[in-house]
Amino acid sequence: MVRLVSMVLLVAVGLGGCATEKMSGEQLARVAKDWSLSIRASQVIPVYPLTEDLQPGDVFLVQTPIEEQVKVYLDKGFLPLENLVTRLSLTGYAEFYRGWPKIGDGADAPPRPWQFPTPEAADADFSHAPLAAFPTYNFSVSRSGGLSVAIPVQSVPVGLNLLDSASANGTITLKDAYTYALPARRTYDAIHAWSEDNAAYLKQFEPTTPVQEGKVVTKAQEFYLRVINRVYLVKTVDVSLFSNRATSAAGSAGVPQPVQLLNIANANTDAAKQFEAINQILANAGSPAPAGAANAGAASEAGAMPPPVAVGGSIKLAMATSRSVSFVETFRRPLVIGYLASDYAILKGGMLAAPTPTFSMLEGRRVISGQAIPYQGCDADCLRIRPWLKQAGNQAKLVSWLEAQGGSIAIADLLTGNHADLRRNVVKDLIEGSN
Amino acid sequence: MALQPPSPQTNVPRDDVGNVADAMLLDVRVKWIAIVFEATAGVDQFTVTPYTSDPTSGG
Repeated sequence: MVRLVSMVLLVAVGLGGCATEKMSGEQLARVAKDWSLSIRASQVIPVYPLTEDLQPGDVFLVQTPIEEQVKVYLDKGFLPLENLVTRLSLTGYAEFYRGWPKIGDGADAPPRPWQFPTPEAADADFSHAPLAAFPTYNFSVSRSGGLSVAIPVQSVPVGLNLLDSASANGTITLKDAYTYALPARRTYDAIHAWSEDNAAYLKQFEPTTPVQEGKVVTKAQEFYLRVINRVYLVKTVDVSLFSNRATSAAGSAGVPQPVQLLNIANANTDAAKQFEAINQILANAGSPAPAGAANAGAASEAGAMPPPVAVGGSIKLAMATSRSVSFVETFRRPLVIGYLASDYAILKGGMLAAPTPTFSMLEGRRVISGQAIPYQGCDADCLRIRPWLKQAGNQAKLVSWLEAQGGSIAIADLLTGNHADLRRNVVKDLIEGSN
Repeated sequence: MALQPPSPQTNVPRDDVGNVADAMLLDVRVKWIAIVFEATAGVDQFTVTPYTSDPTSGG
């Protein structure tokens, strides 16, 4: 019984130890980065902190220059999603997921039917959501040096305390993962329609030119709209920790002093009782008052309300041996852990440039503009357009003219690509027409 | 609708590489341009490729 009490204390210390207010800013930053690096390895842009309030059609204003943005991304591991501009009312789920049960448009658009199957239902039902799978991530933790790899789930510090170990290796498995999306073409149409209605708003984010005042040079600024196309959600996280060192307790250094009481293989322990006791503590942790905790725990079992663990999920001890513990942490509803998006540079007049994939850009992958076209030479019309283009205001005229044609090809493509007819019309409409 | 970014162009003769690159740079999204020699008999030709991000990192 004495050992059970000490175990209970260790768990309580573990829960207290994971309280964010006790962590230094540096540790918190590392939690974000290490988690994000793991998610990034799956070709997904990480979200930190995890949230369920992110979905395709969310539009963020990205204010940092692209070079700075890449630097922030590489440094922190994720991009702060701080300036939510709008949430586009996208349609097209019914068409994109044709034949898929319980996916539609309007009120049936994902994720609402999964989050709230009926107005009365307290539990989410993602059983009809498209599935996703993530690899198992390995990490190591060390109490002495802080968490050398940290993840935004509570199980790790709890497990470390349960093991009473100074350091451990572990694995994290993202279970019950889901994803849904709309094709980028849909979001392209929607963001352009929105930008036309909000040109005055976007105009304030036109690209700026470098300004030199004395010795101070203000760098040119470019702004982007980041439009979410796909999100990934996770409901359950399995964490396993394997002690790789002796206890951290000063009085017993070098002596393995693990959770013998939880070792099912140990005939001298009453494992079932220990499991029950520890899971009861985990379930009650973070509840506002002892009486409330008891009630909340009972209600949670009945499915009426979420488990009372404060940080967002319920932890359950799944397995323990003398050197290892495993937890299952379940969020009340699946949380978004990552996304894919497209970036649209805001141009002069609040117009939007062609989209570039956010992930490719952030990862420093080559973003070329399109398929190569053969140079056709500069014909007579090209030779007339080139000098005309250098005159003030004519580039804007040509851009407007090209946009009105619908194809929106680039000026460089127009001049020396396979567009002789278009060049002829440019000369006729803009050069000869203005004389 | 904004213009598409410029496409890479192949078979660009040496004496027009500057003009082609100049036209590509009219698009402010273009930050880098690669000019790569194409081994051809007779006139020197190049492939001119615009990039919207640093092509020397990653990828």
